[in-house]
Amino acid sequence: MKLLTKSTLLTATLSLFLFFIMGVIFFQVLKNMSLSTLDRELGDLKEVVEDHMLETDDYQNLSLPGIDSLVVLPVERPVQTGVIFGDSVMRDLKDKQFRTFRYLQFNKAKGDQYYLVTIFKSTNPTDKLVEQVTLMITLMVILFIAGIFILNRFIFGSLWKDFFEAIEKLKRFEKTKEPVILGEQDIQEFDELKRVLEVMTRRLANDYRELKEYTDHTTHELQTPLAVIKSKTDLLIQSDKLGAHEMKLLEAINTSVHQLSRLNSTLTLITRIENRQFTAEGEIRLDKLLDRHLELLHEHIELKQIKVEKHYNDGGRVILMDQGLADLLVANLLKNAIVHNSEGGTIILETGPGSLIISNDGPPLTFDKEELFTRFVRDTKRSGNFGLGLSLVKKVCETYQIIIEYSFEDQRHTFLLNLPD
Amino acid sequence: MRILIVEDENSLMESMVSYLEMEGFKCEQAADYHTAVCVLDKHHYMCMLIDLNLPGGDGLELVKLARENDKESGIIIISARNAIEQRVEGLEAGADDYLVKPFHLSELVARVHSVARRTRLKGGEVLVFDRIRVQPEERNCFVDEKHIDLTQKELDLLLYFMANRGRVVTKEGIADYLWGDYGGDYGSYDFVYTHLKNLRRKLMEAGCPDYVHNIYGIGYKFSLDQET
Repeated sequence: MKLLTKSTLLTATLSLFLFFIMGVIFFQVLKNMSLSTLDRELGDLKEVVEDHMLETDDYQNLSLPGIDSLVVLPVERPVQTGVIFGDSVMRDLKDKQFRTFRYLQFNKAKGDQYYLVTIFKSTNPTDKLVEQVTLMITLMVILFIAGIFILNRFIFGSLWKDFFEAIEKLKRFEKTKEPVILGEQDIQEFDELKRVLEVMTRRLANDYRELKEYTDHTTHELQTPLAVIKSKTDLLIQSDKLGAHEMKLLEAINTSVHQLSRLNSTLTLITRIENRQFTAEGEIRLDKLLDRHLELLHEHIELKQIKVEKHYNDGGRVILMDQGLADLLVANLLKNAIVHNSEGGTIILETGPGSLIISNDGPPLTFDKEELFTRFVRDTKRSGNFGLGLSLVKKVCETYQIIIEYSFEDQRHTFLLNLPD
Repeated sequence: MRILIVEDENSLMESMVSYLEMEGFKCEQAADYHTAVCVLDKHHYMCMLIDLNLPGGDGLELVKLARENDKESGIIIISARNAIEQRVEGLEAGADDYLVKPFHLSELVARVHSVARRTRLKGGEVLVFDRIRVQPEERNCFVDEKHIDLTQKELDLLLYFMANRGRVVTKEGIADYLWGDYGGDYGSYDFVYTHLKNLRRKLMEAGCPDYVHNIYGIGYKFSLDQET
């Protein structure tokens, strides 16, 4: 969820909740206020009624301004003491609607006759007022919230501009490895962020460069002494003076030097991929690429009597890749499928729109499948390889945003490559 | 049979010189750019081996200069740099081959022979070893006038052996020569054994003695003598 969406959503939820509670309280207060006004009016009317009762005996037709209805009942003895306020609902005779009334009931003695007097007053006008006021307030609240949203978006955009810029620069850091330097900041927090980012990315860029130079130099500088050792052993084994024992020693040296130089050149390759030194992009047809490498590896395939099944369904699709890296990717995947295949097993190649599947028979991994693409992780029983092939594959995939997945089912290893569009 | 070697690493230079002299080549040495320029037109060289990383100048410039100076010579770049662009650059500058350090001396000799063949004689050359005759350009092989059907790899292997006759070559060297980047990293040298076995069988079926001698497991020697 985006920061703006999240903050808007939070503001909306919180303010709605707040306004709802405030609305309820406001409504209650308003209602109580109008009720107490009504009661006070009824109190005043009581005095008027009492005055009139002193003057006249015709209580039933007593009509006074401000009173909606007046009921005077003669009673034998006082029903209650004091004054009672209450609410009641009555049906209007004219339009047959129920209306709510507020009433005041009290006892009145005239001579020795007691009367129970009830004064009714319609709550209609006050209810209307409360209704209107509430409606108006609600409308204002809605307008207010809408205003806040618009303002929020505007303020948000200008306030967080530098933050988004920082994110963009950080994203680019992955590729360019250049320190992230932001412009002048007038917000204290962003100023801190700016300084922290600058220090951090400067150090990262520096470390990266140093490591790169180090690997670069080491691998390069190793080549010459390796070449010397290799050439000297080549000369030494030509000697007639050496016996079987010395030759055995020389063989061990020779094998190790050979391994070391292969290891060195593979590590150089990985470093070069990491440094993104393969940037030439060419159009490559996946089916042609696979066929070419199968041809190059046909001896290896025949030696293990491996059957190759091809299902090319990508319609001759072209992918944009560096030729060298594409070769590296396919060669290493195929080599892997041959080396770890069982004798007389099969390799199935399947291409589809946006995918490549390479699967081969073979015993399960002897290590955790999470470690498959890690450098130097390999089947320890098999000597002579370094476990670098698949980490090369992974590096190439990372370079081109290809998602590679590995699975093992029914004694088959499967690599699925999801090619980006 | 004169070869110019331009290489600043003294120890490697010594190795190359001793090995090539064992093969009967005469070697001229230059340890830096300027010495190399000076000796460039002193002789006609059958082949020049030029390191790209030289004190005093750019090896690539030297390659261009050497190519202008002598169109007939074979030029092999020997370099520690193994990137495709550098290989392409080297070949475009006029080199005939590009050998990446570290390399086997046996491979160097095989390449020198092959480059020399390509530049000196435009086909028609016949290589002879005892009863074997090979036409490298036509890719034909004969034993006593009888044509022998060899696969491409078997023929390459035979040429490699013939270039390094009488020398011990390691199985790693053979794998590197035959497969380049594809060889060696399997840990097993099954392919070398297979091709070697087939080549041996075919030659012996044609009536040749077994020229290939196993040397204590370290490698093989292609020679006439029956000892070792």
